[in-house]
Amino acid sequence: MASYKRTQQLSNGVVYAILSIMSVVWLIPIAWLILRSFQAEKGAWITTVLPQGYTVSNYVRLFTETTQFNYPRWFGNTLMVAVFTCVIATLLVLMISYTFSRLRFKSRKAFMNVGLILNMFPGFMTMIAVYHILKAIGLYQSHISLILVYSTTASLSYFIAKGFFDTIPKAMDEAATIDGATRSQIFWRITLPISKPIVIYTALTSFLAPWVDFIFASVIMKDNYDKYTLAVGLYRMLERENIYEYFTRFCAGAVLVSIPITLLFIFFQRYYVEGVTGGSTKG
Amino acid sequence: MKEFDRHKMGPFRLFIHQVMQFILHLPKNIVRLIVSIGKALKKFAVFCWRGFVSFLSIFIKGDIITKISYPIMGFGCMLRGQLAKGLLYLGAEIGFITFITSFGWNYLKDIGTLGVNPESEYIDEITGIIMYRPADNSMLILLYSVFTLVVILAFIAIWVMSIHASYRAEINKKQNIRLVPFRQEVRSLLDERYHATLLTGPTVMVFAFVIIPLLFMILIAFTNYDANHQPPGNLFTWVGFQNFRDVFGENLTKSQTFFYLLKWDFVWAVSATFLNYILGMVLALMINKKGIKGKKVWRTIFVITIAVPQFVSLLLMSRLFGDSGPVNIILQNLGFNTVPFLTDGKTARVMVILINLWVGIPYTMLITSGILMNIPAELYESAKIDGAGVVKTFMKITLPYVLFVTTPYLITQFVGNFNNFNVIYLLTQGDPKSVWLYQAGETDLLVTWLYKLTVQYQDYNLASVIGILVFLVSAAMSLIVYNYSAAAKREEEFQ
Amino acid sequence: MRKVLLVLLMASLLATTVFAAGQAEQPAEAVKLKVWGSNEDQALLKEMVEAFKVANPGKTYVIEYGVVGEPDAKTRYLEDPEAAADVFAFANDQLKDLVSAGALYELSGQFKDSVLKEHGEGSVGSATLNGKLYAFPMTADNGYFLYYDKSVIDAESLKSLDGILAAAQKAGKKVFMDLSNGWYIASFFLGAGGNLGIDANGKQVTDFNNANGIAAGEAIKAFAAHPAFLTGDDAVLTGGMGTVIAAGVSGTWNAKAMKEKLGANYGAAKLPTFTLAGKQVQMSSFAGYKLVGVNKLTKYPVDALSLAAWLTNEANQLKRFQVRGLGPSNSAVASSPEVLATPELAALAQQGAYAVSQNDVLGNYWSPAEAFGALMEAKDYSKSIKEQLDAMVAQIVQ
Repeated sequence: MASYKRTQQLSNGVVYAILSIMSVVWLIPIAWLILRSFQAEKGAWITTVLPQGYTVSNYVRLFTETTQFNYPRWFGNTLMVAVFTCVIATLLVLMISYTFSRLRFKSRKAFMNVGLILNMFPGFMTMIAVYHILKAIGLYQSHISLILVYSTTASLSYFIAKGFFDTIPKAMDEAATIDGATRSQIFWRITLPISKPIVIYTALTSFLAPWVDFIFASVIMKDNYDKYTLAVGLYRMLERENIYEYFTRFCAGAVLVSIPITLLFIFFQRYYVEGVTGGSTKG
Repeated sequence: MKEFDRHKMGPFRLFIHQVMQFILHLPKNIVRLIVSIGKALKKFAVFCWRGFVSFLSIFIKGDIITKISYPIMGFGCMLRGQLAKGLLYLGAEIGFITFITSFGWNYLKDIGTLGVNPESEYIDEITGIIMYRPADNSMLILLYSVFTLVVILAFIAIWVMSIHASYRAEINKKQNIRLVPFRQEVRSLLDERYHATLLTGPTVMVFAFVIIPLLFMILIAFTNYDANHQPPGNLFTWVGFQNFRDVFGENLTKSQTFFYLLKWDFVWAVSATFLNYILGMVLALMINKKGIKGKKVWRTIFVITIAVPQFVSLLLMSRLFGDSGPVNIILQNLGFNTVPFLTDGKTARVMVILINLWVGIPYTMLITSGILMNIPAELYESAKIDGAGVVKTFMKITLPYVLFVTTPYLITQFVGNFNNFNVIYLLTQGDPKSVWLYQAGETDLLVTWLYKLTVQYQDYNLASVIGILVFLVSAAMSLIVYNYSAAAKREEEFQ
Repeated sequence: MRKVLLVLLMASLLATTVFAAGQAEQPAEAVKLKVWGSNEDQALLKEMVEAFKVANPGKTYVIEYGVVGEPDAKTRYLEDPEAAADVFAFANDQLKDLVSAGALYELSGQFKDSVLKEHGEGSVGSATLNGKLYAFPMTADNGYFLYYDKSVIDAESLKSLDGILAAAQKAGKKVFMDLSNGWYIASFFLGAGGNLGIDANGKQVTDFNNANGIAAGEAIKAFAAHPAFLTGDDAVLTGGMGTVIAAGVSGTWNAKAMKEKLGANYGAAKLPTFTLAGKQVQMSSFAGYKLVGVNKLTKYPVDALSLAAWLTNEANQLKRFQVRGLGPSNSAVASSPEVLATPELAALAQQGAYAVSQNDVLGNYWSPAEAFGALMEAKDYSKSIKEQLDAMVAQIVQ
């Protein structure tokens, strides 16, 4: 038994070593980002591995020098878009997946397959056409258009939530129907309350989309800096004419975006896992 | 969960068996897919034909009021006590006519040519400077025509519905059946027809922001819309299958580039997906190993890297591994030569796969560790009693279990990697460029090539051909796997 | 019957509301224009526009500003011409694509006359295509030359690339040039007498793979393989100048950063000579200009043209030089002693004698040229220089 214990200790030691090395490798880029966000000298490229001097002015200037790169405003824009997208997309996804999972109707299979196929198209292939449609209906350079498009895209990834609803026993619905509940009532009062993990998962993923998308948002917002979301604005800081002046501020801005996202992730990771695996685990 | 009976099979045999099964069934499944698409189309055609027949027969059978309902929608409903319903139909008709006369027809009439009037100029007499009369805008003609056609189809559907409603009203009146009150019809939308309520909104949105743009994009593949035929100054027009012929051989550089990138795309997708999967699972196993302390801390360390947006972390990575980046500075200080990590074609390909591990392993770790905790402890105990070692337990119990639960995730990952725009574009932008490729670089995937073709080189027609081909590949893969795999069969399992 | 009447009444009511809503509003008196300028230009741009409003009291102008830098103007314009600015600045290498997309308003009448009168041949040429003038020249500084550290490189070494490399290597420093970039790498091929032109069918033609071109390719290979050679993007140059970099090829947009880094040792000069098959040959370059164009789709052509003319007139070119240090295209301002005394503009003017117009370069040129540079930087010699150049030229001329 003693030798078993020793091998156990030995193998644990090896695992600890590997985990430590991996953690370092994984954290180096993050650490580098944080260090450079405090870098005192300007410029994206420095001759040394680490910055020579440190300052907090990169952070301060994000909030004080706002005539062109209006970080606080972009933060507000993104938050607003994210909140609305989160609410609308979550509702859409839940509605669609519930319909496909629970309601039986003509051409249900066809609808599902069409949705699946459409989801396979890389979204930005159609960006230009989407832009012109939004312009034609008068939503040019508006946050509403971002919310609409993010929500639509999210709604096509219904199958994860559908997988979750599939796992809820149908007997519950049947019992409620006998009690005289309509399908609408079943959905709102019975199914939704016990679907917390998938609601949180969907809300989380759709809330995060506006924070990380820089391509579509820049196609919609184009030259209107005041309406930018954070990702687009930060990306603009890296353009050739700006990168020397703004690179360190880009890093500072990126750190500030990452903090709330990290907290959300750490807080909700359990639901995230349950979501991705379609409810097959109750972690 | 009968899948678990299989764990009695040998570990490698099981894996090979599954892979072989998939490959063996692939041709059959492709045929099945094509057949089922054909069936669906046939069903649809029959449906349309029946609709058309009843549309005609109602006109013959119906009375004068029903006949009037053909040109004036909702007429029959209104006269027979369904005023609200009838007004809705009439409103739809008025809206449609206004739309077509004031907007739709202006574009639809030119769809055959995509516009013929080039720009013209004249000298303004007062100021003495040149003035322009704008050309027809081929792009808007095409886009709005597609939009109008979709509206027309939707209207035809409503029209047919309105006539059925009128006829039903007529029959009911004759047979003295009490009409279903409007209020009750509305209420049914919350019960028997609840699916209609739930799906209408999403369907409209998907039509507006996915289907119409998609149809437009597909049609572009049949035009000569490129840098030399760019609206608003120039017209473009239909060229049939010319662009497809270019990609499949007629234009040597374009077709070479396509097949070269397609090959790399598969290599990338396979290695990115499976390396991430296996290594992520190994990481999860290590963290969840009995006796390892601080599980939460370890997990959080890796989760942080997920939370930093990719456009930040990957841009930093490309700077870290740049020709004069910190990694090379360190190498130099240690007395080594610098390595062209991202600027030499072959090295860059290996590097993007490696850096993608940094991105992907935490995801797999996060997902699989949830599943690992769920594996019934009895399974492990019985394996222990049988005297199975670590590797054997992993192959016999862990891997099959996790694979079973995550098959859909794996498929999404594969298709996602095949179209992984972010990682490639942010890391290398597809560079290093190659003198043997058409506007593409060594690490370009088909999607990034497509993106660059539209944004940087305005080769919209070529891009849209590639888009269609990329889509066909991804859609075929996922449809086959989804519809004929355990995931689909599982659907009814719990219910 | 009453029901029928009711229905008809409702229908007509609906119809009138629909049509009433469709009626267009009367156009307002104010002239609405949108102007694009780079991020750094915004303050100055607003100042100039305010002055323009004051100078034209008879009209009400409502000016909207958009931040789009000159290098991105073409891309942004083509995304949606209708939503693009009425007046925008762009780099002259975009002229061809913009004109062929029908983006630019041709200058005529008084506007054309004043541009012809106030600008030199090079500036006018950069805005002219097929004998038509398409834009107002704004600056003549969008080319490249050499920045160097006076404490490392003396006047003698400065003459040749070999001298510069040797001096830098002795000091343990590097010579920077972004060879994996069609714009910079052309200086070798063009210096070797290569031709990059357009044939009668409007297709790109080039002889970069003839004997001279191959010799230039060998020179590039030798340069890239030199231990003192350093490549990268602008960030590398601006970050490393003075500390690890002794000399680097770039343009005026980095002048401010270079001065900050080098201080008293700041130097700018024309490009050096390089060794072409044993002989010393002057490196060439692309001459670049920034132009202000008017969107052909503008609703107010006369006002837009007037504003563009105003932004590029003599007084404002002088102001742009004084505030931002940009090299003027206006002949009178360019020849003023003040401008001639600026090192980077003087260097650019010297290099001008060896520079080649970029008007005959089509979109197909850039990425194959970049690809060749990347091969040299990665020291990929799996194929001979000739094979690689043949492949490059095949891509360029297709």
